[in-house]
Amino acid sequence: MDPALIKLAFGGLAVLGCIGLVFGIGLALAAQKFAVEVNPKVEAVQEVLAGAQ
Amino acid sequence: MKFIKCYKLMAVAVVISLVLISGCKNKHSYVSKAKFKGDHNIIITFAGEVDTAWAKDVKNYGIYAKPDPDIQLTISKIIPGSDKKTVDLYFSDAIDQNQPHILTIKNIMADGKNLGSTVVEVKKLYFGFLFSILIGAFLIHNFVFTKYLGLCVFFGTSQKQSTAVGMGITFMIVMVASAMMSWAFYQFILKPFHLNFLQIVVFIGLVSLSVQAVDTVLRKINPALFKAFGVYLVLVIANCVILAVPLIIANNEYNAAESFMLSLGAGAGFLLALFLMSSVREKLELANVPVTYRGLPIAFVVAGLFALAFMGFSGMVIF
Repeated sequence: MDPALIKLAFGGLAVLGCIGLVFGIGLALAAQKFAVEVNPKVEAVQEVLAGAQ
Repeated sequence: MKFIKCYKLMAVAVVISLVLISGCKNKHSYVSKAKFKGDHNIIITFAGEVDTAWAKDVKNYGIYAKPDPDIQLTISKIIPGSDKKTVDLYFSDAIDQNQPHILTIKNIMADGKNLGSTVVEVKKLYFGFLFSILIGAFLIHNFVFTKYLGLCVFFGTSQKQSTAVGMGITFMIVMVASAMMSWAFYQFILKPFHLNFLQIVVFIGLVSLSVQAVDTVLRKINPALFKAFGVYLVLVIANCVILAVPLIIANNEYNAAESFMLSLGAGAGFLLALFLMSSVREKLELANVPVTYRGLPIAFVVAGLFALAFMGFSGMVIF
């Protein structure tokens, strides 16, 4: 293998991995900051009900 | 309050003056403008009168298209204007007006004095170009009716006018946000690292990121709007127009303003298509459609008719 290609591949992996990590953390923080309290009863009732879709 | 207003006004004034200053840079004081006129002519306007003998000499001008500096265009005829202030350069070959041209004017002679040489860039009006990108994406190359992209969402959400408009507006917002993000990513991350081949993967990731971010933030900040968007926000991810636009931007190497115009035009075009289609489909509910054609089949027929109507825009050139 051409060492330049290997460098490109690892560089790409590192860059995209870092971007993914940053965005993932960002989204997680945003989800925490903008958390909306959901009534747990809604899900419980919906689970009991018969659902075709 | 008064001070804040004052600062705002000052900021606006500074921005406007910056734009004006940047618009007038790089010009020889004696050449006031140079522009295309038709496919074969370039008109140079001087600030004052120039010597006719000098103006008529072909050797005093050099011109090439900006991407290929080694191909000099040949000037076949020069017609000085009657007021001695304008010079009309005539080219036997047609000029590609979409590319900026570099015009060199050597040893400008006025009143027997040599005023030195200058280099002028001749290009089409930039705002006109931006506007043509916008209208092009909106009507002439409408993504739904001329490229047949995004049809699943188009047919899925165009039964009712209210949902169609809601979907269209959501789509426009997400489209502009994700296209601008993809542009920045392509220019500043993918290109420097030579990762152009990963553009599809990265763009899909960016679209889902922006959709998820809008979803999370909107749920908290504006629950009413969130409810109105409903399931459509998530449907945007599965749309191909939203992936096509960043790919077009990357292919054409658009800059920020051009990408903004393209994405805005594409979003507005999709909104227009949804609005038109939903209006017709609401009326179709009342029409006497043959049983086999009811529902989706007649919708496809209507979409085909719309596409035929939009063909009327094809080949149109603005500016």
